[in-house]
Amino acid sequence: MKFSRRTATVAVVAGTASLALVLSGCSTDGGNGGNSDEPITLTITTFGTMGIDANYAAYEKAHPNVKIEATNLENGGAARDDAYAKIAAGTGLSDVVAIEEGWLSTIAEVSNAFVDLRDYGIEDHKSDWLDWKYAQGTDADGRVFAAGLDIGPQGLCFRGDLLEKAGLPGDRDGFAEAIGGENATWESFFEFGQKYTAATGKPFYHNPSFFFNSFVNQQAEGYYKKDGTTLNVKDNAALKGQLDLIVKNANIGAGLDAWGVAEQAKADDFAVYVCPSWMLGVVKGYYDQGTTGTGWDFADVLPGGAANWGGSFLGVSESSEHKEAAADLALWLAEPEQQAAAFEAAGPFPSTLKGQELVKSATDAFFNDAPTGEIFANRSKGVVAQVKGPEDSNIQDNVFGPVLTDIGQGKYTNGDDAWAAAMTLFDQLIKQ
Amino acid sequence: MSTLQAQRRGAGLTFRQKLSNFDYKFSPYLYISPFFILFALLGLFPIIYTVNVSLYNWDLLKGQGDFIGLQNYATTLSDPMFWNAFGNTFSIFLLSAVPQLVMATIIAAVLDQAIRASTFWRMSVLLPYIAAPVAVAVIFTQIFNQFGGPITGLLHVFGLEPIKWGYDVFPSHIAIATMVNWRWTGYNALILLAAMQAIPRDVYESAALDGAGRIRRFWSITIPMIRPTMIFVIITATIGGLQIFTEPKLFDGQSNGGSNRQFQTIVLYLYEMAFPRRDFGRAAATAWILFLIIILIGLINYGISRTIASQDIKKNVRVPVAGTRRTIGGRK
Repeated sequence: MKFSRRTATVAVVAGTASLALVLSGCSTDGGNGGNSDEPITLTITTFGTMGIDANYAAYEKAHPNVKIEATNLENGGAARDDAYAKIAAGTGLSDVVAIEEGWLSTIAEVSNAFVDLRDYGIEDHKSDWLDWKYAQGTDADGRVFAAGLDIGPQGLCFRGDLLEKAGLPGDRDGFAEAIGGENATWESFFEFGQKYTAATGKPFYHNPSFFFNSFVNQQAEGYYKKDGTTLNVKDNAALKGQLDLIVKNANIGAGLDAWGVAEQAKADDFAVYVCPSWMLGVVKGYYDQGTTGTGWDFADVLPGGAANWGGSFLGVSESSEHKEAAADLALWLAEPEQQAAAFEAAGPFPSTLKGQELVKSATDAFFNDAPTGEIFANRSKGVVAQVKGPEDSNIQDNVFGPVLTDIGQGKYTNGDDAWAAAMTLFDQLIKQ
Repeated sequence: MSTLQAQRRGAGLTFRQKLSNFDYKFSPYLYISPFFILFALLGLFPIIYTVNVSLYNWDLLKGQGDFIGLQNYATTLSDPMFWNAFGNTFSIFLLSAVPQLVMATIIAAVLDQAIRASTFWRMSVLLPYIAAPVAVAVIFTQIFNQFGGPITGLLHVFGLEPIKWGYDVFPSHIAIATMVNWRWTGYNALILLAAMQAIPRDVYESAALDGAGRIRRFWSITIPMIRPTMIFVIITATIGGLQIFTEPKLFDGQSNGGSNRQFQTIVLYLYEMAFPRRDFGRAAATAWILFLIIILIGLINYGISRTIASQDIKKNVRVPVAGTRRTIGGRK
């Protein structure tokens, strides 16, 4: 469960980047005495595997007076707690702060902790971004407090080798077709999974929470109505239907944790993984750096239609001593070229149209040379941004999260019981 | 002598004498003042400010809201998740404090004997305490990994099903209590050892001459004589045990004490209130409730440990007391 994304995988990327930082830091100190700009240090806090660390060195090279001090937190949850604590304290935020979609709406309520990027020219590039991504970073007063970085269009990661052994289609297109292609539904997906488990006696998926999260993101209205303040959970037949379906198909789940399942992945304990763009790095991280031929592949299909899961933003804190320079860095990192570089480094898909164009021909060796750039471009077609409310991640993590874990552990045989348990938690946790 | 007389009169003192007087009277306070100044800034002020926060509707990010009196306390005390955290805290506390103190006492008693390389052994028991709790938690989380941890491997050898350390309530408590015990047993053992070393050896010798065996000497001399230290250790263990946070937080970094709050302690509940749920008012109220609980348990502990530790010397103590009473009665 958890919206937190990109668990620690990119150690090597980060390590290389920090080494590059050290090296470039030395060179700037040594050789740029002629630069008239005052030397400054910009701090940036990111989380998980965002891939943008690879860009820092290039920025420092182009701006010899700037030294970037980067902090990378383990996941979005850690970044959220960190940002909240510092906003509450009114001090301590780094100059540039990465914000995750899951808690962006909470930040939007206190968006004056971040500068209005319109003052630094973001409006001139407004057309670069997907409309909905740009809109998400805009608060109720029209201030643009966050610049879109990546989006999370979703496809399915799958183990072609295991499917073939089970006598099922194991190639990219064959798998997509077998679960319904363009018209794939969650029902047809689970039917396919039942065939796999019937043939092999092994679980098909690792944990059901991603199926529920994806389903929620596919709805026109998620945990909130379109106004972003009215809750939309009680008596929500669609959500209940998905929970029912998941309970009915609990028998083909492995009952594993949602995250950190490296050992089980290597032991072939599941054959499918819901993959928003940034998840590719997570799955890769279950194996050693540079591993290929694991059987993992990536298919251009998602049951229930297109959906976006997660995505990140950069904000510039109002308390920064170098707002102008920090805004320049943030907006530069959000430019199409740098988004494309981040995609190459770690997989998060660009939120700018030109960035998507730049990565169109990208393939991924780990995923059997899948044309990831093209697939994600297809998967992002028809994505409609859903309005998130302030308690969105709380509902996800604390209301449905525990129930989905229990379903994975086989606690419920009946969807009604699972729904009732979720509603009890909902009443206890969410102010209505 | 004349100086003394001058001082008594309080007049005719030279500046140096006044300074010396001042030094004599106030310097001790100055010497200890840094602690109190720091405590006032970093301890007392936050404690009092927390009371203030707890009386308001206080969003972490948006700040102070309306004054709502004791409502945060009422909401917290009627929240089943608070009582879940309360139960978990006590379960983990008992699972850690009791074996920990028993083990610490035994280890201290062993170290108190004339053994070879005593410094080596004493250093060794303290080693786990030096290791950073985060590192300890990370390592134990691996050991208690349901999927492929060494314990699961061992169970597998005997053909047993893996224990769901991270999912089932009681196993998770045992796992966390083990981390706490690992860290604190040696520390407590050393403190108890120091107390044991202060017991005069001739008491043991005369007891031995009277035919008391090792066990008897331990129960009748060692335990009663280390009573004040025992009370100190029990009270610090209580305060630490009820405030346990790092171990359960790191046992499952993705959640605040397990997917279903299986091992959410009161401090983790407080953390969840303050940060992920942003209800600073209720977090503050929880902090105060925890404070009161700790004081209450501390008092109970104090009472119990007095009783236990004094059982064996009751006769020696009570007889003169009774005698005194009689004397008083006689005077009436």
